[in-house]
Amino acid sequence: MEKGYLCIVLHSHLPFVRHPEHEDFLEEDWLYEAITETYIPLIRVFERLSQDKVNFRITMSLTPTLTSMLQDPLLQGRYLKHINSLIELAHKEVERTRWQHEFNNLANMYLNNFYESRAIFEKYGRDLTRAFKSFQDSGNLEIITCGATHGYFPLMDVAKPSIRAQVKTAANHYEKVFGRRPRGIWLPECGFNPGDDEILKEAGIKYFFTDAHGVLHGAPRPKYGVFAPVYCKSGIACFGRDLESSKQVWSSVEGYPGDYYYREFYRDIGFDLDYDYIKPYIHPDGIRINTGIKYYRITGQTNEKHPYIPEMARNKAAEHAGNFMFNRHHQVEFLYDALGKKPLIVSPYDAELYGHWWYEGVMWLEFLMRKLAFDQDMIRMVTPSEYLAENPRNQVITPSMSSWGWKGYSEVWLQGSNDWIYRHLHHASQQMTELVKAFPDVQNGTLKRALNQALRELLLAQSSDWAFIIATGTHVSYAMQRTKEHILRFQRLYSEIKSFSIDEGWLADLEYKDNIFPDIDYRVHQ
Amino acid sequence: MKLLNKIKNARKIKSSKKTVKQVSNAKPKKQTLIKPLKELKRQDSTTAVEESKFYTGPEAPIPRRAPISWEIPTSYSKDEIIIQVRDPWWMHAYWELTASILDRLRHELGDIFNSAKRVLRVYDVSSINFDGSNAHHYFDIEVSHYANSWYIDTQGPGRSWCVDLGLKLSDGRFITIVRSNVVTMPLDGPSWQTDEEWMIPEDLFARLYGLGIGGGSSAGIKKLWKERLKREFASGAFASGGFSPVKKEKKRGFWLVVNTELIVYGATEPNAKVTVQGRPINLRADGTFTLRFALPDGKQVIPVKAVSADKIDERVITPVVTKETK
Repeated sequence: MEKGYLCIVLHSHLPFVRHPEHEDFLEEDWLYEAITETYIPLIRVFERLSQDKVNFRITMSLTPTLTSMLQDPLLQGRYLKHINSLIELAHKEVERTRWQHEFNNLANMYLNNFYESRAIFEKYGRDLTRAFKSFQDSGNLEIITCGATHGYFPLMDVAKPSIRAQVKTAANHYEKVFGRRPRGIWLPECGFNPGDDEILKEAGIKYFFTDAHGVLHGAPRPKYGVFAPVYCKSGIACFGRDLESSKQVWSSVEGYPGDYYYREFYRDIGFDLDYDYIKPYIHPDGIRINTGIKYYRITGQTNEKHPYIPEMARNKAAEHAGNFMFNRHHQVEFLYDALGKKPLIVSPYDAELYGHWWYEGVMWLEFLMRKLAFDQDMIRMVTPSEYLAENPRNQVITPSMSSWGWKGYSEVWLQGSNDWIYRHLHHASQQMTELVKAFPDVQNGTLKRALNQALRELLLAQSSDWAFIIATGTHVSYAMQRTKEHILRFQRLYSEIKSFSIDEGWLADLEYKDNIFPDIDYRVHQ
Repeated sequence: MKLLNKIKNARKIKSSKKTVKQVSNAKPKKQTLIKPLKELKRQDSTTAVEESKFYTGPEAPIPRRAPISWEIPTSYSKDEIIIQVRDPWWMHAYWELTASILDRLRHELGDIFNSAKRVLRVYDVSSINFDGSNAHHYFDIEVSHYANSWYIDTQGPGRSWCVDLGLKLSDGRFITIVRSNVVTMPLDGPSWQTDEEWMIPEDLFARLYGLGIGGGSSAGIKKLWKERLKREFASGAFASGGFSPVKKEKKRGFWLVVNTELIVYGATEPNAKVTVQGRPINLRADGTFTLRFALPDGKQVIPVKAVSADKIDERVITPVVTKETK
């Protein structure tokens, strides 16, 4: 009989980046890297666990922009090109390192990984959403949705119709992809503003997540801290993050990913090797980029890195999985006595932490789930829906405005570098609501296409990723250009619609480029 | 069992993950070399991971696409002020005013308009229906005529606010030009409200709070929250007595890496079969080949054997290469 529950949540998100007008595009690499290093390895873990009849439970958010990209034929074809190029590079590496035994082993390891990635990709018909769907249908994985383009809701307080459009478009898209309505949502950046739960309710969503202080600073005080969900007055459930279990994994200083035997993220052959050799595999403009082939381990607080040893790293991953479980046992035992109730520990992470940032993370996850299934019975893995079904009675609280970003509120997305965005987004939101009022029921024709495209452009402008990138600084000009472009496209559509002079050729071009959500309905924006 | 540990002071540890090696033979193109990631403010680890999603390399990408041919509007011809919550203490206001409203005011007020100061009047409207005169209190911030946004320190979590953009005249009058929406700041700690049906003793709540925030000491709740904000999310011990299995020690940063490679190249008849160290290799259409190997210390014996297509002729040449590092 268990004494507590563990709910692991992986939030998988990438902004919609698709540039058919260019043959290849650097920022599309974000998707290809995530596919090779995170999504496919996770799918492999789920496959192996299923084969071994491990009754695991895990929750994943797959955001609408991500699933749209995974289902897009252009990007699928480009991924294949990408992985084939990596396979070619890995072959060359196997040859080049013939006299360096330790690197040669690693080159072979990567070659095998890339072959396997390609095989999995083809196995699911190039559409990885099918893989995730199959594990949801088997009951092991619960997939939740997210804002349509990951708009940050607390900074859309004066633009509630846009929040509604983000949520409803996401829920409708989810239904098309996964064949049922979503039960839960991952609020973008866990950005919660009291009252937004009413909008979730309209879309039939039953639960969401906040950072710990969303629940702990809620009114009235939560009796069980973050160790049980609470209901908002609307009846929608709110799960608070447990920071302790999160910290052990997130922290690059104290957490597992910083262990000296793990792979060093920044030592990639894209940067390390002779320029002329690596040039065909980096950016066509000659900029060195990540390839994914990395030969060194963290080694220590030093720049002199030593070669990576997979067996040692694997042992560490197993050890750390055991350590994580050991700590959760401590936690659960204390809480079970103190609360007089089985505590629920909610551990959410960015999915890209596993595999991409922390290479051994996916292995760690598999070890953990096997240990939880076979080596103990104090903690039970659970999905939020299961927990609520078994524990329907919970305290009613108004959670606090909060996010899981730096400092716990909105500063990341509202600071000197990016605060200029919001007057444009808010104004465009007002204009979109005005269009919906002016044309309440257009059924078809060019006007409908224009109205739908206007909403697409607005949603794409609202991605919180642009504000994030502008604030943190690596691809700033790209993010600024995306923001401005979508606002300008929206403004032009708005004036063409109002003046009944829609340029059909230009509209068709927009529909080709910004082709997200083919079945979008502009009327959700009110 | 040790359940609660003292929170250690945050140490700014430069994790090895954050160093970036600049490769010396990178062909310098006209591009801005952006700050290596280690210098960027690494506030906490969730931000670090989210940033890594977008990390393709230390060099700034050359913008590929044509710059957009016109800029987004600087304003939208309306009179409006909007406020947004940034955190429990700060809010952000942005506004715009049309020329016509300013003209109207200038006309109505006459000369006194020219010496008027532009002011944000920030009203505390907690728990009331604000009618313009019934605020609990207010404070003024003078702003320049060119400003169109401002960060306002409300110094009071949990209160509700409304902001007027107006003119303060030299005779003391305040003229409201536009009024903002109302926002409510979140609390910066647990609520004082308790629930009779779901009662919890104060000290147990303090412990749960500490556990939930991932700190955990018998320090007061307010202090715990402030410490979480101050420290890097990563430092400190785990509340339930778990320990970090990862050990760290600090070393100096200077380094040098030197690698050597060997290129073996040659030619034979295009339809010959060639092996190097017993392994077959491909020839180019013209019969040439080039191989590239990383060259470690030691001796490499490299027999290169070519066999004619009809298998009658055979040639072997065996370079022997020795490398050492003094």
